[in-house]
Amino acid sequence: MIELLNVNKTFNGNVKAVDNLNLVIPNGEIFGFLGPNGAGKTTTIKIITGILNADSGSVRVNGIDIKEEPLAVKRSIGFVPDTPNMFLRLKGIEYLNFMADMYDVSTADRKERLQYLAERFGMADVLHDKIQSYSHGMRQKIVIMGVLIHNPSVWIMDEPMTGLDPRSSFILKEMMREHADQGNTVFFSTHVLDVAEKVCDRVAIIDKGRILFNGTIEEMKEHFNRNESLEKMFLELTDSEK
Amino acid sequence: MKNKTLNLAMILLKNGSGLGFKGSSTATKVMMIVLFAIAIPSMMGGVGAFTMFLMEPLMVIGQQGLVLTWGIGITSAAVFVFGIFYIISTFYFSSDVEYLLPLPLKPRQIVGAKFLVVTVFEYIFAAMIFIPIWITYGIRISMGPLYYLYGLVLLILMPIVPLALASLLSMIIMRFTNLNRYKDAFKIIGGLFAMFLGLGINMMMQSMSMNLSPEKLSELLQQGQNSLIGALPSIFPTAGWAGQALVHSGSLKGLMYFAVCIGFSAAVFAGLLALGQLIYLKGVVGLSETGSRRRGHGLEEIDKGVEKGSVITTYTLVELKLLFRTPIYFLNCVIINFLWPVFLLFPFLVRNEEVDMLAEISKAINQSDAGGIILAVFFALALFVSGSNGIAASAISREGQELYVKKYLPVSYKDQLIAKLLSALTLSYVAIVTMVIVGIVLFKIPVTTGVLVLLTGWLPVLFMCLSGLLIDLYNPKLDWDNEQKAVKQNINVLYSIIIGMGLAAASIIPVVAFKWSITVTLPILCGAFLALDLMLYNVLKTVGVRRFGNIDG
Repeated sequence: MIELLNVNKTFNGNVKAVDNLNLVIPNGEIFGFLGPNGAGKTTTIKIITGILNADSGSVRVNGIDIKEEPLAVKRSIGFVPDTPNMFLRLKGIEYLNFMADMYDVSTADRKERLQYLAERFGMADVLHDKIQSYSHGMRQKIVIMGVLIHNPSVWIMDEPMTGLDPRSSFILKEMMREHADQGNTVFFSTHVLDVAEKVCDRVAIIDKGRILFNGTIEEMKEHFNRNESLEKMFLELTDSEK
Repeated sequence: MKNKTLNLAMILLKNGSGLGFKGSSTATKVMMIVLFAIAIPSMMGGVGAFTMFLMEPLMVIGQQGLVLTWGIGITSAAVFVFGIFYIISTFYFSSDVEYLLPLPLKPRQIVGAKFLVVTVFEYIFAAMIFIPIWITYGIRISMGPLYYLYGLVLLILMPIVPLALASLLSMIIMRFTNLNRYKDAFKIIGGLFAMFLGLGINMMMQSMSMNLSPEKLSELLQQGQNSLIGALPSIFPTAGWAGQALVHSGSLKGLMYFAVCIGFSAAVFAGLLALGQLIYLKGVVGLSETGSRRRGHGLEEIDKGVEKGSVITTYTLVELKLLFRTPIYFLNCVIINFLWPVFLLFPFLVRNEEVDMLAEISKAINQSDAGGIILAVFFALALFVSGSNGIAASAISREGQELYVKKYLPVSYKDQLIAKLLSALTLSYVAIVTMVIVGIVLFKIPVTTGVLVLLTGWLPVLFMCLSGLLIDLYNPKLDWDNEQKAVKQNINVLYSIIIGMGLAAASIIPVVAFKWSITVTLPILCGAFLALDLMLYNVLKTVGVRRFGNIDG
């Protein structure tokens, strides 16, 4: 479960990236975070994952405040950043082993997860190659595998579909559903409204650091009082802010 | 339509982040300015004073013009040696290459623009050596205004010929190393090859200048009138011509040499562009790709060697793997630890009379009371080497834009800093081991002293690692587009070298001045460094950890 309470973040003294943000994402739910470029999605995600400190407000993951116990919070999160270009000179297997050590995964558990993930993502043949030799999509997959190796109770992704082929993207969506159904939280940002519409239990639309809407797609349709595509509603919402 | 080469050069210059002043705190900026305000004028003053010192005897024999030729020759050689790496990293390893290749630019335009960028950076370097020599000579000989005008133009031209030679070598090496899937390994071998070639050419130049026959030399000397300028061979012919142009700036002869210099530099630049047009693309296209084996391990084999390890050990090993596997880091931070002893011994090994010096030194070393000095010298070398490898002083900078990854890992900042410290400590300690081996084999230092150095040498190394890491925490250079900028164009490494040199002097001076024996030197130096290490470690785990948390990832 993720709870954000009155979270604020300002850059360079005057650019308000996150403006009094309140969000609660319960367990067992896939939550889509939508918004135009520069809306504050990545900043919010960086605050939840401990990459950035909020100026004020509190962030709690599974009831633990990130300011009080940052390591406990980080241990329960698995984070997939928007650019997968990291540790390029390590081999895939070395990266996964590194992540497993960082998240304190036992030898037996990591071997079991490794087999499962490699098979699921079709990566078994390339794990002994350097990540540098991978395509963008394969890099994205190795980062996702590195995150899932400790089976996090909160799985956060920033634009996870970028660069994935249709098959991998389908598998990822399937895995998101399974992860949420096991009682975990799945939170991801995306531009692809179609994906949000198909997989998310709930969505929030953010623009200029503020939440404009938070609820199910059905609720959004009710809110607009007509049966329109998410794209149209999204454009209308974010446009009225300008 | 504006010239595309110049346009591109301007954009590349604007896009570069220089030495890393951007984003530093005001206090850091002030500190840097003060440091430069002291260091640069004192260095230039030193060169000027040395020029005066050299000129007096040369004036007696009418060969004072030699200081100009030497000055330009040394500047060119320095630009060449330092330029090779700079050229390779700018031409080939800079991430902007991938954005430039798809643009409708001719290879010679990319080569030209990148060459100009490197040239501009080399001006700082060339100016520091050449200006004091040029001005000192001008004032001492009371040269006319044309001398100063020529000098200014020649300074602008100066880096072109040596950098063109460096570019030529780099382009040829890269053309043939961009061959197969072991690209990183080839880059390393290519880089090492270029480095040794640079050193070799320098040595060749030295021996060439020694080869002038005594008769010829005395004949030239008797002529006076700066006759030696034209006689000294050099791989940079511009050095001799520029010297002639300056010395004879008042006459037609000077004008002719000046015109020759301009013409030759322009021709070299044009030749470089033509060569770039021919071979640059072959060396650079596909450079960022890495081959893979796709051996098809199969599911049953993939988890071979997958075992749980401790967080700090795994983190340290990954730091070391990245240092070894990234060509720029390997050449600048790793290999240097093995090469320092070789560099330091170079002057002793190449000349005959100095091999006797080696014997003299080992005789001096083996005197019963020399133990204190040996230990102090090893401490000083350890300080210098572990400061100049820049591993600790670039530990945060090397993370670059990916620093945020380290922020979300569930590993305390203290543990992460300790792992970074351990990787720097391990590699720097290797330098001590190589130096002790060289000391025992060549200088015949007593084995017991060698063992003593191995047991205590980690103390000064730890100090350099701690101080380097703290410096980098306060002024990390994270905004870079090629790894060279993280380690070579990083002011933090320079700070670390300065601290290392200062402390090296502080370790040796009292031991020599008060003739401390080993029984006095050992407890004093070890005690002092232990105290310093403990103090800095405490700073690292409190202030340093806080600082790491506050760097925006």
